[in-house]
Amino acid sequence: MTEAEQIESRDLVYGLAVSPRFALDGICFAARASGLYRSEDGGLTWKDAYRSLELRQALVTATVAVSPAFDEDRTVFAGVPGGILRSSDGGHTWIVVELPSPPPFVLDLAVSPGFSRDGVVLAATVEDGVFRSGDRGASWAAWNFGLLDLHVLSLALSPAFGQDETAFAGTDSGIFRSTNGGRAWREIDFPGDLAPVVSLALSPRFPQDALLWAGTESSGLYRSPDGGHTWTRHGSDVVDGTVNQILLRVGDPAESEVMVLAGNGLLISRDGGDSWAKWKAGLPTGCALTAVAAPSGLGSGAPLLLGCADGSVHWLDQPKEG
Amino acid sequence: MSQAATRRVIFQPATYRRLQRGVNKLVDAIRPTLGPRPRLVAVNRLLEGKMPEMLDNGGTIAKRIERLADPDEDMGAQLVRDMLWRLQDQVGDGTATAAVLFGSVYNQGIHYLAAGGNAMHLRDYLGKGLQMVMDQLSGMTVQVSGKEQLARIAESLCYDPALSRLLGEIFDIVGAYGRLEIREGRGRDLEREYVEGMYWEWGLYSRDMIADLSRYRTEFDDAAILISDLEIDEPQQLYPALEMALRAGIPRLVIVAGRLSDRAIGFLLSNRQPDRFQLMAVKTPGWDTSQKAAALEDMAILTGGRPFLKAAGETFAHVTPENLGRARRAFADLRTFGIVGGKGNPRLLRQHIGHLRSAFNQSDDTVVREALLKRVGMLLGGAATLWIGAATELEIAARKEMAERTAASVRAAMMEGVVPGGGVALLACQPALQQALARSEDADERGAYRTLIKALAEPFRTLVSNAGYDASEAMAEVRMAGPGYGFDVTVGRALEVMEAGIYDPAIVLKSAVYGAVSAAALALTVDVLIHRTEQPKHAEVHVPSKRKKL
Repeated sequence: MTEAEQIESRDLVYGLAVSPRFALDGICFAARASGLYRSEDGGLTWKDAYRSLELRQALVTATVAVSPAFDEDRTVFAGVPGGILRSSDGGHTWIVVELPSPPPFVLDLAVSPGFSRDGVVLAATVEDGVFRSGDRGASWAAWNFGLLDLHVLSLALSPAFGQDETAFAGTDSGIFRSTNGGRAWREIDFPGDLAPVVSLALSPRFPQDALLWAGTESSGLYRSPDGGHTWTRHGSDVVDGTVNQILLRVGDPAESEVMVLAGNGLLISRDGGDSWAKWKAGLPTGCALTAVAAPSGLGSGAPLLLGCADGSVHWLDQPKEG
Repeated sequence: MSQAATRRVIFQPATYRRLQRGVNKLVDAIRPTLGPRPRLVAVNRLLEGKMPEMLDNGGTIAKRIERLADPDEDMGAQLVRDMLWRLQDQVGDGTATAAVLFGSVYNQGIHYLAAGGNAMHLRDYLGKGLQMVMDQLSGMTVQVSGKEQLARIAESLCYDPALSRLLGEIFDIVGAYGRLEIREGRGRDLEREYVEGMYWEWGLYSRDMIADLSRYRTEFDDAAILISDLEIDEPQQLYPALEMALRAGIPRLVIVAGRLSDRAIGFLLSNRQPDRFQLMAVKTPGWDTSQKAAALEDMAILTGGRPFLKAAGETFAHVTPENLGRARRAFADLRTFGIVGGKGNPRLLRQHIGHLRSAFNQSDDTVVREALLKRVGMLLGGAATLWIGAATELEIAARKEMAERTAASVRAAMMEGVVPGGGVALLACQPALQQALARSEDADERGAYRTLIKALAEPFRTLVSNAGYDASEAMAEVRMAGPGYGFDVTVGRALEVMEAGIYDPAIVLKSAVYGAVSAAALALTVDVLIHRTEQPKHAEVHVPSKRKKL
C-alpha cells in the first residue's frame, strides 16, 4: 500500500472540510470513523492526518473544520471523543486539547469567520452543551447559560459573527441563539416537537436578510425568514429522512440556491426552497451519501465533494443550469 | 385604643402646615442626589467615632433620618420615608425622583386645597391623571439587550463606568432571570466569575467525604443522585438504596437527605470499595419545608430523578435505578452542592422554568419573587459572582450597595424595558395631561392635571440644577430641540437621549411616579394628626413589602 491510503469499507464519512483556497491548493479533509484524512489533490488521494500522533487504534473523528484564514494560519480543528485536536500546520501535526471531565463527545465545530482577529471557535457536544475557545483553540470552557438542552447536534455562526456575535445551536429539543459570541443562549421559537435539529445554515447575507434554515432528524426542512421567529416547512413532498446538511449559495441572493443532504439523497432548489429536484446526475453508484462540501459554493460547474457511508469520497462538477 | 394613650390631637390648618414642613425636610435632604451629577449628603457618625457617611442614595438617606425632632413634622416625613423604603425594596432605585415628585404634588396640592379645593376629589383626579401618565410611559417603553446597552443603563444608574461594564457583560450572559451574587472582594478591583451548573449552599454531611483535599471538595463524573428529604437515623434505612446501586452497577452515588445520624454517616464512611463504588451524602437544601420542597422539585426535574419525601411517609425500601437523578457531574464541599449537566428531560425543564417565571410575574410579594427568581436563575444553567473591590472597607461596602441597587434596576430594565432617561419620559407625558386639562370643566380635575403637569417637570429641573445649570434655560433648549430631546448635564447641551444611551428602567420610573403621586394624593386627604404615648401591639406586625403591578 502506498502513502495514499485506501479508504476502508464501512468507514463512514462524518464530515468534510475544504481549504478556502481549494481551487488553488486542493486541500481537503475527511472526518471518518477511522480517523481524519487529508488530501492535497482535491480528494483524489488521501493520507492519514493523524500519522504524527502514532495512534494505536483508530480515533473516531466526528467533525472537522478549517480556519477561514487557513491560507495564512494553516489551522485545522478535529472533534473526537473527549477532546479537540488542533493543528497549526495544515493538518500534519496536532495538539490534543482535552476538555473538562467527564470527556465530552464533540459532534460539530464552528470557526468564527473573523477567526484571524477574534480566535473564536465553538464546539457542540452530545451531552455537555457548547464549549467555547477565544484563544484559537488553545483552551476551552463550557458556556451553557440558558442552554436548557445540552445535547447539541449542530452549530451555525453568522457571517458577520465578528460584529453581531450571533450563533445558533440545534439541539435534541429545539434551537438556541446566542448574541454574545456563544457565551449565553436563549431559546428561539422553533416548535419543540419538530426537533431534534441536526443541521443549521445561515444565509450568507444573514445580517441583512435574517434567513435561517434548520434540518431536523425526522420532521423535514424548515426555513425562517426572520432569524428564527417564524418557520415554514419546505420540500415536504421531496425531502425525506434526516436532513444532515444544508448548503446555501454564496453570492447573488436573487438566485437563492439551496442544497440539502437528506435521508433520501441530495436535493437542490434554485428558487429559495419553493421547488426541489433530486440530484442524480454524476453521483457514484451504490454510494449512500453522508457528507457534502461545496468548496467554491453552489453554482453551475462548481465542484462538489461527496462523502459516502462506505468511507469513499467523490468529486464531481455541479451540472450546468437548465 | 385607650384614652390614656392619646396625648395630642392636631387639626387644620396646623395639620397641613406641619406635615408640609416634615415632607419638605425629607424631600430637600434627598433632592441634591438626583441625576448623574449629584451632590452628596453627609450623615454625622461622631457618636460612633467615625467619619461622616457620604450618601447619594435617597432610600438610604431616608433611612438615616430616623426621626425628626418635631413629632408633627415627623409624621409628614414618615409619609415620604415609607413610600421611599417600599420603592427601594421593590425596584432598588428611583427614590430621588419619587421624593421630588412627592414634594411637588404635595406642595401644589396644599396650595390648591387652601384656595378651596376638595381634597377627596383632588385625590380621585390625581389618580385619573396618574393612570394617563402610566399609559404614556408604557407606550414609550422599549426592550433592551446587548452588553453595551445594558452597560449604558447601568452607568446611567451608578455612574461607575468599570462597574457598569461588568454588569453589562454579566447580565448579557446570565440574562434577566440569571443568578448573580455580589460579594465583597479583597483587592481594589472588580472581578467576575462564572460558575457552570446549578448549586445550592448546602453541602456535605462530613468533611471525611471530601475526596480532593487540595481543592477541598468532591467531584463525581456521571453521578447518580438519590433525591430526598428523609431523616436517616439507622444505617439499615440506607441498605436498600446501596444494594440497589451496587446491583445496578452504579459507580458513583450522591445521597441527598434531610438528616443523617452520626451512625448513618459512619456507615457511609466505612465504604471499603471506593474504587468500585463512591459515595457522598449532602444535606437537603433549604431552611424550611417549602424551601426544601422547592429544591427537591428543581433537583428532580433537572436530573430526571424522583424525590423521596418525608411528608409522604416514604423510605428507600423500594428505590429503583430509574428513581435516581443523573448528572454529568456533581460536586460538593462542606457548604455547597452542585450539579452540572443534569440529565432530566429538557422539555420538562422548560415547562418548569416557564411556570416559575409565570409565578414570578404574577406574585406581588417581594420575598416570594426573590425566591422564584433565584430558582429560575439556578435552573438556567449557571451563576455569576461579582467581587467588589475598592481602596477601603468603607468604599467596598458603599460600592457593593451601589452594585446591588444597579443590578436590581438593570434586571428590571431587561424584564420590563426602558424609557428615555434624564426626566425626558416624564416631560413627554405632559401633552396627554394638557389635552385632558383642555377638555375638562371640573375645577378639581383641572387642578389635579395642572399639579401633575408641573410635577412631571420637577425631576428634569432638579437634575439640571444639581449639575449647576439653569433649569429654565435647559428646559427652553430641550423644548426647542423637540420630542425625545433631553439635557445631557455631562456635556451641557440638548441631545436625543435614547440615541445617547440615556435610559431609565421603565419599571423603576413607573414605580417612582406611581408611588410618589398616590402617596402624595393620600397625604393630601389627611386632616387630623393624633399622637399617642404608647404603640399598640398590633401596630408592630410586620407586613411584607408588596410590589404594585403597573
